[in-house]
Amino acid sequence: MTTEAPVTIGGMGHSVKRKEDARFLRGKGHYIDDIKLPGMLYMDIVRSPYAHARIRSIDASKALELPGVLAVITGKDLDAAGLAWMPTLMSDKQMVLPVDRVVYQAQEVAAVIATERYIAADAITLVDVDYEPLPPVIDPFKALEPDAPLVREDREAKTNHIWHWEAGDETRTDEIFQNADVVVKQDLYIPRIHVCSIETCGCVASFDKVEGKLTVYMTTQAPHAIRTVFSLVSGLPEHKIRIVSPDIGGGFGGKVPVYPGYVIASVASIQTGLPIKWIEDRSENLQADSFARDYHISAELAAKSDGTMQALRVKTLADHGAFDAAANPSKFPAGLFSVITGSYQLDAAHVEVDGVYTNKPSGGVAYRCSFRVTEAVHTIERMVDTLAQKLQMDPADLRMKNFIPPEAFPYKSATGWEYDSGNYPAALQKAMAKIDYAGLRREQAEKRARGELMGIGISTFTEIVGAGPSHTFDILGIKMFDSCEIRVHPTGSAIVRIGVQTQGQGHETTFAQIVAEELGLPVENITVEHGDTDTAPYGLGTYASRSTPTAGAATAVAARKIRDKAKKIAAHLLEASPDDLEWVDYKFQVKGAPGRSVTMKDIAFAAYTNFPPDIEAGLEAVDYYDPPNLTFPFGAYICVVDIDRGTGMVKIRRFVAVDDCGNIINPMIVDGQIHGGLTMGMAPALFEAITYDENGNIQQSNLMDYLLPTAMETPVWETDKTVTPSPHHPFGAKGVGESATVGAPPAIANAVVDALSHLGVTHIDIPITPWKVYQILEEHGATEG
Amino acid sequence: MHFEGTQQINAPIQSVFDFLLDANKVAGCAPGFISMDILGPDHFKPTLGVGIGAVKAKFTLDVHLQNVRAPDHGEVTAHGVAAGSAVDLTAVVDLVPVAAAETTFNWFADVTVSGTIASVGARLLESTAHKQIAKFFACFKQKLEAPVSEAPAAEAASSDASPPETPKA
Repeated sequence: MTTEAPVTIGGMGHSVKRKEDARFLRGKGHYIDDIKLPGMLYMDIVRSPYAHARIRSIDASKALELPGVLAVITGKDLDAAGLAWMPTLMSDKQMVLPVDRVVYQAQEVAAVIATERYIAADAITLVDVDYEPLPPVIDPFKALEPDAPLVREDREAKTNHIWHWEAGDETRTDEIFQNADVVVKQDLYIPRIHVCSIETCGCVASFDKVEGKLTVYMTTQAPHAIRTVFSLVSGLPEHKIRIVSPDIGGGFGGKVPVYPGYVIASVASIQTGLPIKWIEDRSENLQADSFARDYHISAELAAKSDGTMQALRVKTLADHGAFDAAANPSKFPAGLFSVITGSYQLDAAHVEVDGVYTNKPSGGVAYRCSFRVTEAVHTIERMVDTLAQKLQMDPADLRMKNFIPPEAFPYKSATGWEYDSGNYPAALQKAMAKIDYAGLRREQAEKRARGELMGIGISTFTEIVGAGPSHTFDILGIKMFDSCEIRVHPTGSAIVRIGVQTQGQGHETTFAQIVAEELGLPVENITVEHGDTDTAPYGLGTYASRSTPTAGAATAVAARKIRDKAKKIAAHLLEASPDDLEWVDYKFQVKGAPGRSVTMKDIAFAAYTNFPPDIEAGLEAVDYYDPPNLTFPFGAYICVVDIDRGTGMVKIRRFVAVDDCGNIINPMIVDGQIHGGLTMGMAPALFEAITYDENGNIQQSNLMDYLLPTAMETPVWETDKTVTPSPHHPFGAKGVGESATVGAPPAIANAVVDALSHLGVTHIDIPITPWKVYQILEEHGATEG
Repeated sequence: MHFEGTQQINAPIQSVFDFLLDANKVAGCAPGFISMDILGPDHFKPTLGVGIGAVKAKFTLDVHLQNVRAPDHGEVTAHGVAAGSAVDLTAVVDLVPVAAAETTFNWFADVTVSGTIASVGARLLESTAHKQIAKFFACFKQKLEAPVSEAPAAEAASSDASPPETPKA
């Protein structure tokens, strides 16, 4: 992998322009709403205004009188077919449509099928639902009180407590805390946020009554898993279900779950034999689709007085809303939150999480984050700064003192993870040099003396991605391997089909580059297909930064299988023993005779026209890759903020991001991933939060109230890298899709707290809005103007 | 949301009370009033058009009069659902005679708004409610205090005239 590929091949390490951009930049992308099938009907959904209510009756007569309305589907209709409930990906169950009770505002209550989209929208206003409001429980702490309203009457356990989960060594951790020189404690709330991808969710379900086959074009990040779930729920044989995930306008974890709209549309299509289109509007998407974060964390860090960190103790309340519909691996209801010890050597740690139901939509989406890693990283990176402040140590020095040293890898963390590789000091040193950390501290001292508020924040995060090894990771029992199938055509081009599904990551380019590198075929001659369960090999989908660590590895291994066979054909063509051949400069040559060589293009033609008698024709391979471990990308981010004392506005002046994602396939795409991720990390740090009033009314149901950053709010990101390959990945890659989203928020929060630390401020919960900062300034008499 | 207020009405207590028991007269003063079904002496279903910010909705309220004690006390419960929104209201009125032709009108109301209107219009909800209450009382007083000049209800309801006292939330 260290050989620099010629540009004509475009293999590893080349900033090949994204193949998919040719259609995106020309407006030729093909999204769900672009699909129009003959005879297609339209669906719209009646939603609950109440967060908690009993449904006394549903009267659809007025809606059915509207010309163009063909059907109104209710929970009772679905219940008759055994489809009123569906399993979630987290071993809970979820209402498709309620029979007699709604448990969050904007929950689906009924669906209207009409000949036109606008008729369907008109008709939902004519469906008369008689509700009896019930008291909702919105606060997860109150949900655990004995007299709290019960969110889930359907469960045998008459409590809002879902599960308790813990990791680490409680006894050892408590011992260290009892004898520690210093203990810092901090409560943190990581607020509920929404992925808010540009494309909302939707589907076109089309049932062919003649073939008995259901095709669902769907905005999903995991088409194969969805097909299996659909088969289990509907009873249709799996080969009679085809899920197609076309171009996806952003997923970020929000398009992993199965939403009721998909199921209702499918039922309607099976009933009518006609295609049914359902597309959410923006407010429906913001109000009802699954949410991320919503962790109430109480953390303690024990250390020696010289700053040596010793133990971490964390208790967390996880607000999952009304259904536990997170797509976490089965054994990990709190995801990979136990990576919370981060980049630091600790003697012990103990982490507890309790999941709670509330009258809110389902939570727990891994929003551009490998299953609760954002919450974990924010906690440990804030706690390190809290300790530094307590000990009056520089936060960079404290980190350097406590980093897991490069020579300690593979490193077993206090909660049991085996980190594959890392060089944390090198990344932080690079970031500090690039931003002139010492100079910034001098500038800060000068400005502080003048009364100006400037802060410097560091985040040295470790990610955990690439789920995962089959012995530990599954979703609903399906092991989290991933796959690739490669066919090399006679003329030396190839088609690559993968089990993961792109939503903007650039798979059509990067996976072609992997094959180009392994087989020496030019990247432009390689087509990558994904997202169609009738043609792609089975895989668990794209989320949690798992595509390159799993399907990327499968692609390399499948290509190597092809190369192994190609070597035998090459030997036949060169009239040499395979043992006498070597793979040099993307061709097989006879050792010591560079003039005697054949390219993969030559071999491909021979594989169909002139292959040796003991080898079957063709040149193709498939691989289902079961990773031996997760991968652990990391990075060092430094953020500089200036705070306006007149308004409380936080301005990010500089942000240096040094990322290490192992070996890089396409530096330009990695840079793009990091730029996007940093912006998506800045958003919850400064702007985004979904909140509810006491009645369970969402307060950010539209983009006037839910502030997404635009170019106006986004600073110039300065990116750099170190390269520490993963020792167990076939080409040393680790994954990068989430690093920036995970690493950015604590760097920003740490910078703001640093700017205000001389006032006695030790913590501010995100989002750090101007209003919040201004209040703090007022409390400390530090406002201006 | 809790609202309460006091109005001075230049009319005898019995006139005020009779007006309040006349569903057509009260509904005629309700801003956005469209139509009404009268199902009984204490059970009405008025339909109202409500606009908060960018959200417009048509509510049919299920209104019940309760605990009516002539000539000074009455209570109202109302429940209505529109597309994606719902409103639940309880209101209590107590009248106090001040003079032969002057009545103090004490009232409070607890209103719960749910759904789209509460979400999208959250920041505008309370100020809009205050405006609507002011319009209602302007109409109410106009009709009671000048019964000869029977102004059309819709015109009165859209009047911007402010009452002497502003209700406080």
